[in-house]
Amino acid sequence: MRSLLNFLLRYKTLILFLILEAVALVMISSSHNYHQTVLYGAARNISGFFARGLEKSTSYFRLRQVNDELVAENLELKRRLEAAASVPKETFVEVSDTVSGINYTYLNARVINNSVNKQKNFFTLDMGSRHGVSNGMGVASQAGVVGVVVGVSRNYSVAMSLLNTEFRLSASIARNDYFGSLAWDGLNYRYARLSEIPHHVAANEGDTIVTSGYSEIFPAGIMVGVLSGEQRRGGDFVTLKVLLSADFKKLTNVYLIGNLTKDERNNLETGVVR
Amino acid sequence: MNGILRYSVGFFILIVLQLLIFNNIEFSGYINPYIYVMFILILPVAIPSWVLLLLSFMTGFVIDLFSGTMGVHAFATVMAGFVRPWALSLNISAEAAEPEMSPSSYRNGLRWFLIYTIAVVMVHHLALFFVEHFSFRSFGHTLLRVILSTAATTFFIVLFDFIRSRR
Repeated sequence: MRSLLNFLLRYKTLILFLILEAVALVMISSSHNYHQTVLYGAARNISGFFARGLEKSTSYFRLRQVNDELVAENLELKRRLEAAASVPKETFVEVSDTVSGINYTYLNARVINNSVNKQKNFFTLDMGSRHGVSNGMGVASQAGVVGVVVGVSRNYSVAMSLLNTEFRLSASIARNDYFGSLAWDGLNYRYARLSEIPHHVAANEGDTIVTSGYSEIFPAGIMVGVLSGEQRRGGDFVTLKVLLSADFKKLTNVYLIGNLTKDERNNLETGVVR
Repeated sequence: MNGILRYSVGFFILIVLQLLIFNNIEFSGYINPYIYVMFILILPVAIPSWVLLLLSFMTGFVIDLFSGTMGVHAFATVMAGFVRPWALSLNISAEAAEPEMSPSSYRNGLRWFLIYTIAVVMVHHLALFFVEHFSFRSFGHTLLRVILSTAATTFFIVLFDFIRSRR
């Protein structure tokens, strides 16, 4: 007993060091659900407050770029409106249910904190549960897909960036609809990898990559990026390098995409596929 | 008492600088200065090693809390706190080692402070970047990040130390 005590006293620094490192490692390994912890929720509200102040003062310098984006988007929406108006009516019944036929809802949010330099990047949005944001909503900028919401507090929400090595997106080649899994390899923030594409699929440099619509998060056809031409063959599939269309270093205005019929779809899928 | 207050203020300033300014700095995805490590560097020479470890853990934990990286910074700072006594003894001159003294370039000479800072910061950044990446894949890429960021962090810490000493 005495020698044990002596031992502990003698190596108290080393023992404390090992204990603290073990605590840190446990914290890291359980970080998958850290978004739910109360402590982190409180810290997020405080840091969100500061980040919003900082963003307010720096956003002024990006006004021109934001304006250009909005003009481009307006133009695109006008074109779609035109196309929709010219479709001949097929029904004679007027439906007053405004939710009928709508699958996705969109919210407009502002990025108030962002990073591209880590392996697991997240960004903070200035909208929370108070504004109708919930976990699992997709986030896209005017240029393309940027992430998915993983944590919500009352006034803020945190989204896992596409630039997070844990992020997976079902994406397809727009030209021929072959789909694969898109993920970031943690190296260059401009590029991601589209894997699980079969060998026989013709994929050329410059082909557009869009969301496949197979997940319940993003509707089909949202821009993701273009093929850079570089590819790696191995096994049964080809991995393609994708130049992301969204520039994560200047994210400002983004859209939150909510799926209104998500629960219905989930229930059906889990009910049938056991 | 006065000393504790002074270190608390230093701690607060470094954490705020890190979170509001330095977390937003990165050049070409390689250089991320983590200047808050300076708090571990400037604690008194004679601080008991277990207090040093606990303070290191606390520093990393606070950074983790505000940047949403649970445990990653805490792991790295405890590592830094563990090697600090060894880095201190690298080549400190005996007459300079007053127990209450805070290590600085002003009292110990720039060359010594530089070596001391690089040693501790390098260990911290090695632990931080590799734990963050959580694999030894793309080893060279991560190592390059460590080396470049260590240079940047050291530069800022020496700069702040200079400002601190002039006052």
